[in-house]
Amino acid sequence: MSFDFALIATSLPKILQGLGLTLNLLVVSTLLGLLLAVGILLMRLSQHAWLVWPAKAYIYFFRGTPLLVQLFIIYYGLPQFGLLRHSFLWPLLREPYWCSVIALALNTAAYVSEILRGGVLGVDKGLIEAGKALGLTKFQRASRITTPLAVRLALPAYSNEIVSMLKSTALASTVTLMEMTGVARTIVADTFAPYEIFIAATIIYLVLVWFIQTAFTLIEGYANRHVRKG
Amino acid sequence: MTGIVDLEQVNKFYGDYHALRNVDLSVAKGEKVVVCGPSGSGKSTMIRCINRLEEHDSGRIVVDGKELTDDESKIESVRREVGMVFQAFNLFPHMTVLQNLTLAPRLVHKKPRGEAEEAAMKYLTRVRIHDQANKYPSQLSGGQQQRVAIARALCMNPEVMLFDEPTSALDPEMISEVLDVMTDLAREGMTMICVTHEMGFARSVADRIVFMDNGEIIETSTPADFFAAPKTERARTFLGQILAH
Amino acid sequence: MSLLDGWWDDFFFGLLTVLQVFAVALAIAVALGLLGASAKLSNSRLLRALAQVYTVVFRGAPELLVLLLFYFGMALTLTWFVQLFDPSVKFIDLPPFWAGSIAIGLIVGAYMTETFRGAFLGVDRGHIEAARALSLNPYQVFWYVRVPQMWRLALPNFGNHMLSIMKDTALISIIGLEEILFVAKMANSVVHRPFLLYVTVAMIYLAMTTVITLVVGQLEVRANRHLRGTR
Repeated sequence: MSFDFALIATSLPKILQGLGLTLNLLVVSTLLGLLLAVGILLMRLSQHAWLVWPAKAYIYFFRGTPLLVQLFIIYYGLPQFGLLRHSFLWPLLREPYWCSVIALALNTAAYVSEILRGGVLGVDKGLIEAGKALGLTKFQRASRITTPLAVRLALPAYSNEIVSMLKSTALASTVTLMEMTGVARTIVADTFAPYEIFIAATIIYLVLVWFIQTAFTLIEGYANRHVRKG
Repeated sequence: MTGIVDLEQVNKFYGDYHALRNVDLSVAKGEKVVVCGPSGSGKSTMIRCINRLEEHDSGRIVVDGKELTDDESKIESVRREVGMVFQAFNLFPHMTVLQNLTLAPRLVHKKPRGEAEEAAMKYLTRVRIHDQANKYPSQLSGGQQQRVAIARALCMNPEVMLFDEPTSALDPEMISEVLDVMTDLAREGMTMICVTHEMGFARSVADRIVFMDNGEIIETSTPADFFAAPKTERARTFLGQILAH
Repeated sequence: MSLLDGWWDDFFFGLLTVLQVFAVALAIAVALGLLGASAKLSNSRLLRALAQVYTVVFRGAPELLVLLLFYFGMALTLTWFVQLFDPSVKFIDLPPFWAGSIAIGLIVGAYMTETFRGAFLGVDRGHIEAARALSLNPYQVFWYVRVPQMWRLALPNFGNHMLSIMKDTALISIIGLEEILFVAKMANSVVHRPFLLYVTVAMIYLAMTTVITLVVGQLEVRANRHLRGTR
């Protein structure tokens, strides 16, 4: 058995052909997921049980089951219904790309809404009271005090969630998408050199993780510039 | 220099910062010494050196005939004789009051549980808190927690008690309940070294007051002299600020 | 549910497999987490660096990739090794059960490392000092003061890592382990009801993760009972 370093070098460019799709999946599903998360958060924080309970059930289901199973339900399961096959959604649900995006977005929304809720609950009650005492309206308190502070508190956990999303995009390879892990799997099938190829892919993922973490460190540093000692 | 606690020319640095400068102090058995001075003057550092929670860099520290060096067994034997009470109480949060008190006697003195608990109840009664024995620290007020901490230290039958600002973290109405316990302890003849800003306590209990500033002991006198006529300008300023309240 | 009649025993054995993988992977993850945390807290630069590489790699690489690397890599290595002694052997692989359990254990062990390290450092310094001032020796300080408090600090993350292990077991169907997702795929090729089958799988997982959440919740209540401030 030999370990072929040159093979790592030559396979890197091939695997990088899947980078575009990996990043595409990451960005599109993260943004859709964030929008959805804010909606779920507002439901979860509302005073009405009929809004709170669906939000809780949603979070419970998507955090309690494997993403791979969710993806299979959407990609293999939904076409079982003839009604869907004839609806306007079919052009989307037929495509493995959109199924992956939908599964990733639905999944991350559950986690992100809880991360944001943690941020909201972490805001010092005294500051909200100070806002009330100053005569700010409910909306002003939410937009000027709660939201900016909650976002700052949520940033570290959110950066972990983005990293976790990047890793989750690899699951799209199980529904035939040729993102980086999909490309790597095809090359391994041809060369049967699992160590070299998968290590090459891992290196690229680690570099991406590093970029995400560095970006968030900068964002956090900027967001928390008010606590830096002068 | 034949006290129960002797410090000779002790120096301590944190990096470049000179925290203790040539500190000499000898405390006789049964003596009560109050250490005061502005914050950052080295008071806490000094008493934390006495049971080697901090290591001194030069000079000698001898407790009951045992010099503190890197020798772990000697350090542990000194700690067996020296009780300490902290500003932040430092009760073990995951243990009940009684468990806090019996932990060290059982582990260190290998006392059977029944005996350790009996002794613990005796000390809890002395600090007037025996009815809280099975509560957790978080269920007690600050004053009660500090009295438990004093009882915990007493359970080891120490020769010397160190107090590191024991009332600084307390609400005003709870300070006296802790000081009362400390005063009782002083009357019973315990050797005590107390870092505190409670000047009323110092006046009524202390045999000697040690005033520190900038890592040095700059004045040592009886309470009567210290309060009536401080010898140094810095002590006068300090007293002016403390007593102005 | 009569559509699934005849498949329930397969699901049951699939679930048993899931639980076995869970147990093995958890044991590996805890062991690696303790080792990793000790290495990160040690004085040896070499150990610290090794532990750092371990956590960076296994927390950064996709779980699926680690699993595939481990399964196919081990097959290659094992075949090579066995052929040294018996050249007639064509191919040998690590059973998917072990490849999957070890891979998941390795991944979650990296997260456990950070959790245990954080819990170790999270114990209030004052409590450690108080124990030393009472002349407890370092061993006693560790077992009586540090460990009980570490447990409380580590529990919430520990619970999340258990949930990760449970959910990651679904990945092992990809390398052919006959757990519940694999059973659903097989059943689908006969009864052609993918939605029903995969939702059934989801519900079984939901039941498992619910049990874990409830158990961890109870442990947390126990671990935090001293913090209830009922003055």
